[in-house]
Amino acid sequence: MKRVLPLVIIVALAFVPLLDRNASHISAYADTGGLVLLAFGLNIIVGYTGLLALGFAAFFAIGAYTYAFLASPQFGIHLNFWPMIGVSAAVAGLFGLVLGAPTLRLRGDYLAIVTLGFGEIVPQVLQNLDKWTGGPDGIAGIDQPRLFGFGFGFNPVPYYYLYLAIILVSLWLLNNLRHSRIGRSWMAIREDELAAAHMGINTTTAKLAAFSLGAAFAGVAGVLFAAKLSTVSPSGFDFNTSVMILAALVLGGMGNLPGVITGAVIIGLLNFLILPQATNWVQTLGQQMHIAVLASVDLNQYRFLVYGIILVTVMLFRPEGLIPSATRRAELHAEASSGAPAQADG
Amino acid sequence: MPEIHQFFQQLINGIALGGMYALIALGYTMVYGIVELINFAHGDVYTLGSYFSLSILALIPLSRYTGGWQLWLIASCVIVLAALLCGIVGVLIERLAYRRLRNAPRLAPLITAIGVSLILENLMQIWKGTSEVPFPQFLPGGLGVPDNVFVVAGVGIHERALIVVVVSILAMLALNLLVFRTKLGTAMRATAQDRDAAQLMGININGTIAWTFFIGAALAGVAGFISGIYYGTTFFLNGYQAGLKAFTAAVLGGIGNITGAMLGGFLIGIVEAMTSQYISDQWTSVVVFSILILILVFRPSGLLGEQVPEKV
Amino acid sequence: MRCAHIARHVGLATIVAVLSLGLAACSGNAPGGQSSNTGSSGNVIKVGADLPVSGGDASDGMPTANGVKLAVIDANKRKLIPDYTIEASVVDDAVNGVHNPSQGAKNVQAFASDPSVIGIIGPFNSNVAKAEIPLSNSLGIALISPANTNPDLTRGPMAAELRTANPTQLTYFRVCTTDDIQGPAGADYAAQVLHLKRAYVMDDNETYGRGVADQWASRFQTDGGTVLAHDHITKGQQDFHALLTRAASMNPDVVFYGGTTSTGGGLVRKQMADAGLGSIAYFGADGIRNDQFLTDAGTAANGSYATVATVNGAPDFLKQYQAQFGQPVGSYSANGYVAAMVLIEATAAAMKANGGKVPTRAQVLDELRSGKIHHTIIGDFSFDKNGDTTNKIITTYGVRNGAWVFVTQKNYAK
Repeated sequence: MKRVLPLVIIVALAFVPLLDRNASHISAYADTGGLVLLAFGLNIIVGYTGLLALGFAAFFAIGAYTYAFLASPQFGIHLNFWPMIGVSAAVAGLFGLVLGAPTLRLRGDYLAIVTLGFGEIVPQVLQNLDKWTGGPDGIAGIDQPRLFGFGFGFNPVPYYYLYLAIILVSLWLLNNLRHSRIGRSWMAIREDELAAAHMGINTTTAKLAAFSLGAAFAGVAGVLFAAKLSTVSPSGFDFNTSVMILAALVLGGMGNLPGVITGAVIIGLLNFLILPQATNWVQTLGQQMHIAVLASVDLNQYRFLVYGIILVTVMLFRPEGLIPSATRRAELHAEASSGAPAQADG
Repeated sequence: MPEIHQFFQQLINGIALGGMYALIALGYTMVYGIVELINFAHGDVYTLGSYFSLSILALIPLSRYTGGWQLWLIASCVIVLAALLCGIVGVLIERLAYRRLRNAPRLAPLITAIGVSLILENLMQIWKGTSEVPFPQFLPGGLGVPDNVFVVAGVGIHERALIVVVVSILAMLALNLLVFRTKLGTAMRATAQDRDAAQLMGININGTIAWTFFIGAALAGVAGFISGIYYGTTFFLNGYQAGLKAFTAAVLGGIGNITGAMLGGFLIGIVEAMTSQYISDQWTSVVVFSILILILVFRPSGLLGEQVPEKV
Repeated sequence: MRCAHIARHVGLATIVAVLSLGLAACSGNAPGGQSSNTGSSGNVIKVGADLPVSGGDASDGMPTANGVKLAVIDANKRKLIPDYTIEASVVDDAVNGVHNPSQGAKNVQAFASDPSVIGIIGPFNSNVAKAEIPLSNSLGIALISPANTNPDLTRGPMAAELRTANPTQLTYFRVCTTDDIQGPAGADYAAQVLHLKRAYVMDDNETYGRGVADQWASRFQTDGGTVLAHDHITKGQQDFHALLTRAASMNPDVVFYGGTTSTGGGLVRKQMADAGLGSIAYFGADGIRNDQFLTDAGTAANGSYATVATVNGAPDFLKQYQAQFGQPVGSYSANGYVAAMVLIEATAAAMKANGGKVPTRAQVLDELRSGKIHHTIIGDFSFDKNGDTTNKIITTYGVRNGAWVFVTQKNYAK
């Protein structure tokens, strides 16, 4: 039974585009899939290894622009989409290494700030180097995937299945990784870096691996994002995007894949589907009831208020998230109740 | 204008801008020094300071004929009230959002702080809208009266720029007195050094930390007021960039170090102005954040900070 | 054992996922979808509008959206499409107060998936258009912009890139003329009427701002003026003193700002006084010709000029707008009205040809491509083979005593 259930769910998810024929809904589900991938990536860094990265959207941008450079009229290069998933993942992973190598020895919150700075620099550089990046215009006319002669175009349905497939592959990969040698080193570092080092774990290598692998996931998400929209511009990769990914992770439960998926799905649907719809519901209500305030309200405006409230309340009242892993829950509650081990974490 | 005058003119621009960064950086550095928390919401308290000032000013019947000592009296009252309100907000944030997490892993309060920052930004957005809000520039000459420019050796200095610099330096002096000459300051320094030992010595840890937040937020409130006077407008998202740059200033000066925060603030302001003049305005934030990364990588203790090994 | 454990967790998460998907699917509909219209049911035809209606851009987007709404009210009153009620469905492409290309693209996708939406009015900003045109081209839905002035959107290699899905199918039209007319018009006024000679040019480093600044600068030089420097600013900053000090050192007699009020157009004007540039002329384009500019710049606003790529006038429209919304028209209210009217009239014509049945989007597009002349409140025009208007009127405004006043108007059509 326990083995059957996930299969049932996967099959059910595969049928969603057949049941819901509204293209904008499918598009929103596909975008949600992108958020799941991003959350997977950040989860390796923050959830498994306990390093805080704040400018994660920078790697997302690097993945998207890598694909845009190599498959658009920008330089007249048109490489095939499928191998580019791997190439962009590698490029983003490489940037993860380059940023991680000098900074990973920093204390937790300093690392957070370095990555935040990096996250501010990347979109600005993309904006300023207009000869190569198209500057503020970004790059348009990006090639869209083809499979056995079938062009994806702007139809959201094939992207939905693509995201679903990549998420399933990632799940398999992450599950194996988590129980591998490197996965156990990550968690050892998260629990107690000093002890991990004494146990003979090469903490630098493990942290670097986490950083570049996490970045690689963002790179994959970037390729899919660029292909689906067929355009990239610097404005889509700012701090707000990083916060959205972090909120998904915090809400669902860091370090636990079912939790991460749940968080990303909730935030994604809230962001891509429910808030835009809710705005219309409220406005219609306002028009019908002749309440001017309601008729002109825009709930999209307040989505960062929603994220803010999620971040604060979850951290205060359920720091392990909605669906935590057993170890993480034990950890967080032990630390919150007694002061001593917490000092060790500093 | 000769090249050298140009340089000094930009120095003045940078110092005025840096004065505001310095005031904000003081709050970052104090809070970090004592609870080792990067209070991400601090930049937004700065914006809140200008919003509070606006609301207080709306209660005062200012006209262009209000003049002289009345203006300074009004300004002082507004500064004190805005600082007080911001201080209270700071204490509330600490009490409601951070205190429970004081012993949690570092990640937890940092994430909470980002959340608080988002909440504050959105509340301000609801409060005064998503556009720039005009701020009455009534200092020093009166409402709508352009301020004087002192010309020193060909370099023009606006009175408003002087106000920024004088206020920020006064604030730093006051803070130094408080930290090194009062009992509260001693308690703060003791708590920063070793919280448990301080507690054993009979220091009220919660009270001391609350006071630290109060003072930091109040200084941000002062910065919010003078930014309103200096620019004549305010905007709900100003605190984000300003906060990040002020944090960079605190890191540059050596986080936890009050003089360092001040120095860092002025330096970052000057770097921005010089980048604008000699490189290109579009690269200013890239330059500032590159400095942040380089300092953290190569000299995490900053210019004036001590080399502190990681606590284990 | 371990696998089963994982499987259970994955299962749990997926249940939540499916549940939320189901929930969203049940509750949701396309934008503006208050009812479960599926095209044929219900006698509603929707005009979609994608504009920045919040934040700093709202002072541009809101009056334009009102223009669209007014057109819909008029069309219903005049029963332009018999037996059907026309509705305007306005969505916001601003995120956190600033227009956002990704948001715009998503909005277009959402409109396209709502069968009752016959066409889209928008967007306002040229960088948003860049993200939306490929979508409208691929999905075959009309996109009529009231305000995009960047010439590359319809002409040259970039326009071709944007139409790669269906290169021969024109789906994007605009009722305003372009920056290669607007920029030079402003430069001509500065050089030939005001006799200004030395310009310092800056822009907000966005598609529209850079484009119009380039056009202005190049014409100003052709007119015999000197462009001292052309700088780009960093987004999100509050302090322009350093940049303006740099500008002042070059002794300009005019400063040009390419950009919008929300990216700093008003703040720059205000801070010019601090850098000793308060008394010189300030030029911008349609991005700063709004009330928020006057608020931001305060008393420093006087002496500013802005061009707008449309007519000043249509007195009946001004009155009707004022009566309906209780505020004066914005720069692009009339264009919003005209764009919506053109779409509605094309729909009506296509409907007639279709034997009174609701036409397909393709039929509406054919109607728009036919090149017929539209008689509108901003004059008679048709769409050329690129989708551009043949109407090339530029109006120049200036700030006097804290208000935008009409200065001059010129038709650049050959």
